[in-house]
Amino acid sequence: MTELSDELLVAYVDGQLARKQTRAVDKVLDQDDVIAARVDALKYAHARLEAAFEAILAGEEMDVSAASAPAQEGLVIEWRTAKMALAGIGVGAALLLVVAGYGWPLALPGLMPPPQAETLSPQPAAMAPDWQRETARAHALLSRASVEVGLESQGNHDFVALQLAQILGANLKLPNLEAQGFRFVRAQALRFGEEPFTQILYLGPRGAPLALYAKKGEGPDTLSSERYGSIGTVTWAEDGATYLLAGEVEDSLLMRIATRIKLEPLSPLRTAPAPYTPVNGALKEDR
Amino acid sequence: MLPRLKRFADVLVGERIEGTYLLSRALQFMLAEQHRYQRGTALDVWAFGEIYRLWLHELGGHADPVAQTKIDNGSFGQLFYPEVDGFFDAPVIGFLGRLPAQQRLTLLLVYGEGFDHDDAARVLDVPPDTIAARLVRVSAALADRLSARPPAPAAAIVETLYPEGHRGSP
Repeated sequence: MTELSDELLVAYVDGQLARKQTRAVDKVLDQDDVIAARVDALKYAHARLEAAFEAILAGEEMDVSAASAPAQEGLVIEWRTAKMALAGIGVGAALLLVVAGYGWPLALPGLMPPPQAETLSPQPAAMAPDWQRETARAHALLSRASVEVGLESQGNHDFVALQLAQILGANLKLPNLEAQGFRFVRAQALRFGEEPFTQILYLGPRGAPLALYAKKGEGPDTLSSERYGSIGTVTWAEDGATYLLAGEVEDSLLMRIATRIKLEPLSPLRTAPAPYTPVNGALKEDR
Repeated sequence: MLPRLKRFADVLVGERIEGTYLLSRALQFMLAEQHRYQRGTALDVWAFGEIYRLWLHELGGHADPVAQTKIDNGSFGQLFYPEVDGFFDAPVIGFLGRLPAQQRLTLLLVYGEGFDHDDAARVLDVPPDTIAARLVRVSAALADRLSARPPAPAAAIVETLYPEGHRGSP
């Protein structure tokens, strides 16, 4: 077994090593399962830390967005004072004051942006109001498998996950989002060109459905959010699949749900359940 | 940027209300001491550093500064907004709550903010090597804990409250 210190491995995981050193560690990882397991453990610890810090930030963003009135309890600095500060410290400090202009804990009259203005991403250029054109574009997502493959046993999560994995050619997550207030409704296969992808639909207590899309492929494993009009999205990749979570919910909530899904370990690839026979049934009851 | 500053203050003091007050004081201080900002310095690095230095300065005024840095686990857990969607990574949150403030901030700056070691070192007024050393100690301890290996001895994560080279005033 090769001896590599935690110091070196943490630097490797954090991307702090020179390219040559990284390649050397890569080679060791290919040959040494113990070191590879240690690297995985460090990466896993870092992912959990990132998710925990992300959870705090998502909550803070919600609090800041919720602070709509300029004069809240706490410190209020007059706009005149702020302008003097801007003149004194320049653009950098202006940024500080503008973000503080959300209303809490600094309130700067006249600098209040509309709620969530900062989080809105540009609208897609070709957002056609014409329902037929939008529907035609959406229709291109339907494949033969959307209709032929019967996900009729939608109540059986294992069976649905198995069918989706077979369609996708990769294992994927079928998360339970009931703790977040969204219940699984159904799943189906779609296509992007000739490549299949899956759609898993959830419903919350009100409003439009939340959907988790998955497609075989590689990509950055970091969570990245984007907004298209009223639809918020978070994308990421893991374990040979790329994911898109989409819904008409607040960005911070969407990010937290995506974080939750990403943290959930991927179950091993399921095997087809044995068909029901009296013998199988008796065996199952025995277990 | 305000939510990021608030998160930094909250993680530093270990709870939301005190974090709010610390951030308010720090923002007021930054405005009053605007001449200290140097053009070319990243605004977030500067602002995080000012919050940290103010906290350290105020800590020096207490009879028992170490006692002031102890945090309540319940209040610390509330920082993660478990009421929103039930997210609560108890092992990680418990682990973070037991760390000294400087180590919590090191993790926040590097893994939460994505700062490199140099910028994290600038914020916390320590050499970049200290940041690297803290990351190794804490990452290894957390990885051990999560993979159910025997935890690192407590002494491995104890660190002096006042790192060498700390300035006496904010």
